[in-house]
Amino acid sequence: MTVPTASLPPGAAVGSERRDSRRRPPSRKDNKLAFLMLAPLVILLGIFVIWPMVYSAYLSFFDWSFYQESRFVGWKNFSNVLTDPQFRSSIVRSLVFALMVVPAILVISFLFASLVKAVGARLGTALKVAIYIPTVISGVITSVIFLLIYQYSGGVLNWFVGLFGMEPQAWIADVRTALPAIAAPAVWLGLGISALIMLAGLLDIPQSYYEAAELEGANWFQRTFYITIPLLKNIILYLLIAGFTAAIQQFELPLIMTNGGPLDSTLLPNLYLFNHFRTDTFVGTSIAGAFLLFIVLGSISAVIFRLLNSDKAVDG
Amino acid sequence: MRTIRRHVTGALTAAAAALLVAACGSGTPGQSADEEDAGEDGAVVLEMWQDKFSDADNAWYKEKVEAFNAAHDDVQIRLTVVPGDAWDQKMKAAQAAGTAPDLYTLNYSEVLPRARNGELAPIGDVIAADGWEDLEERFLDAVTEDGERYAYPMLYEPSSLLFYRADLFEAAGLDPDAPPESWDDLIAAAAALKAAHPDIVPFQTAQNGVELSWTTWGLQVNATGHLPISDDWSTSLASDDGYLALLETYQRLAEDGLIAPQALSPYGDAAPLGEGKLAMQASGSWAISQLLLDYPDMIDDLRVAPLPSLDGDLTKPTGTLGGWSLGVDAKSDHPEEAAQAISWLLAEDVDVVLDYFKDTNFTKFSPRISVAAAIAEEDTSVNPWLDVMTERVVPYQVLEPTYDWAVSLAFGTAMEKALQGQDIEEALTTADAEITKAITDLDLAARAGS
Repeated sequence: MTVPTASLPPGAAVGSERRDSRRRPPSRKDNKLAFLMLAPLVILLGIFVIWPMVYSAYLSFFDWSFYQESRFVGWKNFSNVLTDPQFRSSIVRSLVFALMVVPAILVISFLFASLVKAVGARLGTALKVAIYIPTVISGVITSVIFLLIYQYSGGVLNWFVGLFGMEPQAWIADVRTALPAIAAPAVWLGLGISALIMLAGLLDIPQSYYEAAELEGANWFQRTFYITIPLLKNIILYLLIAGFTAAIQQFELPLIMTNGGPLDSTLLPNLYLFNHFRTDTFVGTSIAGAFLLFIVLGSISAVIFRLLNSDKAVDG
Repeated sequence: MRTIRRHVTGALTAAAAALLVAACGSGTPGQSADEEDAGEDGAVVLEMWQDKFSDADNAWYKEKVEAFNAAHDDVQIRLTVVPGDAWDQKMKAAQAAGTAPDLYTLNYSEVLPRARNGELAPIGDVIAADGWEDLEERFLDAVTEDGERYAYPMLYEPSSLLFYRADLFEAAGLDPDAPPESWDDLIAAAAALKAAHPDIVPFQTAQNGVELSWTTWGLQVNATGHLPISDDWSTSLASDDGYLALLETYQRLAEDGLIAPQALSPYGDAAPLGEGKLAMQASGSWAISQLLLDYPDMIDDLRVAPLPSLDGDLTKPTGTLGGWSLGVDAKSDHPEEAAQAISWLLAEDVDVVLDYFKDTNFTKFSPRISVAAAIAEEDTSVNPWLDVMTERVVPYQVLEPTYDWAVSLAFGTAMEKALQGQDIEEALTTADAEITKAITDLDLAARAGS
């Protein structure tokens, strides 16, 4: 809870700072204990994250094949990746994919959370369990399920569209439909956790705000756009960043459902890197590509932060 | 207090050290590196990985490894069957961790690239000269680099045959004894089949970029007399006008609705043909084995012929002779024992390998002259199309190329663009640029075989 500065007596904030400045610095003993408590995590992080990253950065400047003497090649791996139209288009495609998936998840999650909030406790629990089920199903199983749905011959979707007189479609073998076809299971998979987070955010908004707004005659749209959405800003920010990062890094669905095809129309960056890792004689390209993807993901997260500005919620 | 802190710090250091040691140890959870190499009685244990093939293939590997283990007290093989779609990543991860298997299955197109990259141990001196002299020359060449041998060939098989339904041919007014010899004939036959049997897909072949990359090597040679890269791997040849006809043919198949917009199965799987969903299918000789075992009731209605040639000349290649061999990892701790195991499995007793060809219904061929002679003595009538393969297909096919996969994929993508209705000339121009880039980026000319 943020306390408005205006409600404090004059000079209180300044006085508080002065008191802080007079406070004794933390003792060395406390510091040591803190470092000691942090040590296990830092050591594990060092072994499994920091050191591999540093070593990978080093290796990305080499032709490395596990069997031959590594050869220093400077920036060649990076330039190979950057001049590869397949990599560049996979980045652009991943953004398109994220734009298909993330807004859909946000909108459906919001509507679902609003519905759960509105219904009784027992029905709400049943709905929450139902929406969460896809989250505990693995991406591999989901891919297989949707493969069966999309099958050209004997698939459920073609049977369904056939009821309306449509010809069978090659959903995952046509460049026009393949990416949306893998976006649908991505939405399905991401819905459960997003809806529950959204619901938690909704329940956190004090009911008194809505009651006051209703007294003022605000309708549902006004309450939604002037109370609910502004107070869900941090939730939306989190879901946007987490959603974009997950969508851009989506790997299982295109690997199992389309292997990146047809004509690379579902080739997302991680699959591009994976394909290079498993087929290239030298693995420098995949390592350099992974670093470039890291930069892309970091930049996107930074842009979203910049656009939305995460504030501490002004709640009751 | 200081003592307690020292103890805690010591414990943390020990834990970190233990983690590091664990990270550097065995690749198998719960097993140390030393345990992996020694059997119960101190016998050398060899890790062997085998691609997952058909049930009959897998049964042969299992049976023969058990027989090897029973016959050897000092060396034991531990066999792992790895699904094909997991092979590359599993192998790469094992190589990175230094836990690659001692011996493993390799298709011919892999042997020389891996040998040039130092991934395979030379086995020429361990396997007896008789074993090498018993091999057909072209397969000996396929495993030889700079005079050294890096794998021992086990089998070869034509990767492209035309399977078709004689009963559907007759009903469509086509002569089942005169299968298409040119692709124009095939398109005409498919159109007739489509008209007569609207519920059955007329034809199926490889229909995605990856499958088109390797299944059309033979047709690429058929179209122009060469592959889309020069023999010394220095120049792209993908812009050769001869490829236009090949891509146009595939585009016509798609445009005329003679293939399903989405293949009913992968190239290697003949199940839709056996289930009556297809009238014609291009696939490899392994499909014969599948059809004989899984769809015996359909066999009387099925026929097998050479895959058509673009100009109807069936003495030109229309496919490749693929196949499998066994090689030894260059970092194996027991390269000699691994090579001796390969010798026992593939290069010595004719009966050991002969069982494989019996079990797979004589749908594959042996590169060993003595084994081929033994097969000729057998009753091979279980495979009604052995003569077609022996006389009309095998003599005219080419071996698989050994250049980098990026080159194959570039051309396969151009083929897929044709199927998707895109501009053919542009597709070939792009393939040409991609192959040129691969030549530069991967320094292919320097890696070309001698």
